[in-house]
Amino acid sequence: MREAVAEKPWFSASIWEWIFTTDHKKIGIMYGVTSTIFFIVAGLMALGMRLELFSPGAQYLKPETYNWFLTVHGAVILLWWAIGVWASFANFLIPLMIGARDVAFPRLNALGYWMFFAASVIALLTFIPGNQIMTMWTGYPPLAAKEGIGFAGTTALFVFIWHLTGFASIAGAVNFITTVIRMRVPGIGFFNLNLFIHGVIAANVIQLLGVPSVAGAVTMLFLDTYLQTSFFDPTKGGDPILYQNLFWFYSHPAVYVMVLPAFGIISEVVSAFARKPIFGYRSMVIAIWAIAVVGFIVWTHHMFVSGIPDWVKIFMSYTTLLIAVPTGIKIFNWVATLYRAAIVYRTPMLYALGAILMFLIGGLTGIPLGLPAFDVAVHDSYFVVGHFHYVLGMAVTLSAFAGFFYWWPKVTGRMYPESLGKLSFWLIIIGSNVLYFPQLIVGLMGMPRRYYDYPPIESWVTLHQIQTYGAFVLAVGILIAIVALIKGAISGEKATKNPWMSNSLEWRLPSPPPPHNFDKEPEVEKDYCPHGYCKS
Amino acid sequence: MKFILGILLLSGFALAGSDEPLARPHDLWEVIYKIWLVITVIIYAVVAIPSLYFMFRYRYRKGENEQGDQEHEGHWGLEALWTIVPLIIVLYLATHGFALFTQMRKPPENAMELKVTAFAWGWMFQYPNGKMVVASAIRDTEDKKCKPEECYGVDGVFQQYVYIPKGVPVKAILTSQDVLHSFYVQPAGVTQDMVPGRTTVTWFQINKEGEYWVFCREYCGQWHSRMFAKLKVVSKEEFERWLSGQPADAGHEPSDERVANINSSGQEVVR
Repeated sequence: MREAVAEKPWFSASIWEWIFTTDHKKIGIMYGVTSTIFFIVAGLMALGMRLELFSPGAQYLKPETYNWFLTVHGAVILLWWAIGVWASFANFLIPLMIGARDVAFPRLNALGYWMFFAASVIALLTFIPGNQIMTMWTGYPPLAAKEGIGFAGTTALFVFIWHLTGFASIAGAVNFITTVIRMRVPGIGFFNLNLFIHGVIAANVIQLLGVPSVAGAVTMLFLDTYLQTSFFDPTKGGDPILYQNLFWFYSHPAVYVMVLPAFGIISEVVSAFARKPIFGYRSMVIAIWAIAVVGFIVWTHHMFVSGIPDWVKIFMSYTTLLIAVPTGIKIFNWVATLYRAAIVYRTPMLYALGAILMFLIGGLTGIPLGLPAFDVAVHDSYFVVGHFHYVLGMAVTLSAFAGFFYWWPKVTGRMYPESLGKLSFWLIIIGSNVLYFPQLIVGLMGMPRRYYDYPPIESWVTLHQIQTYGAFVLAVGILIAIVALIKGAISGEKATKNPWMSNSLEWRLPSPPPPHNFDKEPEVEKDYCPHGYCKS
Repeated sequence: MKFILGILLLSGFALAGSDEPLARPHDLWEVIYKIWLVITVIIYAVVAIPSLYFMFRYRYRKGENEQGDQEHEGHWGLEALWTIVPLIIVLYLATHGFALFTQMRKPPENAMELKVTAFAWGWMFQYPNGKMVVASAIRDTEDKKCKPEECYGVDGVFQQYVYIPKGVPVKAILTSQDVLHSFYVQPAGVTQDMVPGRTTVTWFQINKEGEYWVFCREYCGQWHSRMFAKLKVVSKEEFERWLSGQPADAGHEPSDERVANINSSGQEVVR
């Protein structure tokens, strides 16, 4: 094989090249950097909120500052981190995993990133006093459309953030779906694609079908607010609950946009470090697609107390619980993969195993929320907060970090420092549990969510204080993880082509891959399976 | 062992159940809660214990265990097992939840009607005889900050006790004047959104005298977190006396004028 001597690695490009690049690897890295910066900002805001909640009464923040922190924390963690970070992984990895030169529409891809960047600029504009959005990330009318007690003044920023990130999502979805359908090398088919690609493509199909619904909802919200239409205004014959339906029709499936790629990464990492093929590959693929399809008919469980008819609640209660079945299949298959394995405990594997065991808590606490009989007591309580932090704060975030550490040698060409990586994992998992588990308990006691202040009930105060301690441990863990990654990229030892001895196609390229990826169209063996362990 | 003891203890609780629950329909919620908790703990153990065992038993050991078993890539029997068993569990849970929910939603025939209107930020309670009670949020202003106990205290003027008769089901008819709010009665475990332009209904019954919390659970702006009310559950006789306006300790009776003031002007409540 020809050594790529004349080719410069991706990171030595000039600023100019970065701005006008259509290279999927560079765009992937730009997505990753943007997402991570926003993740840190949103995390710092969460720390601010935890300090405020350390004890009852007003501490350091005004209620409007707290509500602004909470809104930005929600919107940024969901749109920039839990959705945006997968755009980074998908961009960098999909062409490498299927043996393609680039994505199908490289310029559309670049446009998508710059739309995402524009949304980031708008998000930063909300930091200017007077622009602070306080509608919560859901932006329910009439609150978002009203002057005075409402927040009509800043709703435009909220709406444009949705429009621009939505555009980026659709551009990405069109690209990734087309790329995977049309540009696979011969020999890679539906049932030997990487599970990560299945996860990402299922997520992007959801994006393509769902984003128009939420874009329509926020557009109507915009018209209601500034042009006095009456889609959601009850005083003029509109219906605020319509907004919730349109919003959650996308925003519930959106949680699968966040978690399906995470499942994909867990599968990649677990099979590589267990040194064993993934157990039940086909049922894994079917489970991913089942989740994506059924995910579209469960959205009213966000509205069980909104005032919708009871029969709808019952119907969606059954469909919601059905999602637990394919999710369960995935978890059992991961556990079965560990049976008779030879598990190498490196940082990515620790993160992936942590993600599985924590996702299980997130899933099991999600089941009762699908039962209206249970939900009436805990709807909009800290129980819900705890549940989705176990899913998003743990399963998704831990998998994203697993992915960072796992592909770091491929992206940067250097290894991360192992001991710092492991230390970061233990701090994150301990901190997160100390932070999120008390949320479940205080939620069962009735503590409502989105509260800036709470009554001085003794057990609530204790539980909130424990959470704040956990939040700081978690923050230190994330800081160490980022230090480990940066240190690795700068001064780590040189990575080999395939340090984890995976059989997947991206590991057959040099680290870091040359700009054109493959010198010639790669050939894969007849029985190619990305999750079959190979001793290279 | 500990785990089994825990399960036994939990099922003991589930079976014991006293005759008179503190609040309804919370007693029905407890049924589904306990079932869920037992199932959850069992499932977590079923997954986590083998995982931890495999993680230890099948770790990489140089020279001994360097490569996993390459033969087994799946097992249809096992995969079918962990599809069908969870399917049965969730169908059972959804059906049992359905049955309980139907009971929970049906207010008893003899329920007292209580009209509740939410505004930013507080509630107006209207009793069947027209008597009104207001519970509005206590806010911090620039010159006056409340201490935690005061912020959630009842001052009898802006924040009044909401009297509820003991052991009598109350059917709450809910609506809102401005934005979405939510009505959550803590001991009864019922939440129901209050939507401007429509009425929603929930019901509860509290069987023990005392003071109980009501919170707003739908984000409604700046003082969402201070939007609460205190229920004062008293005996039927005392409630009747209070309702007809006799005793001295019943708190101030709000004039309609003041209620209107709080609602329309949106004036800061300074304590």
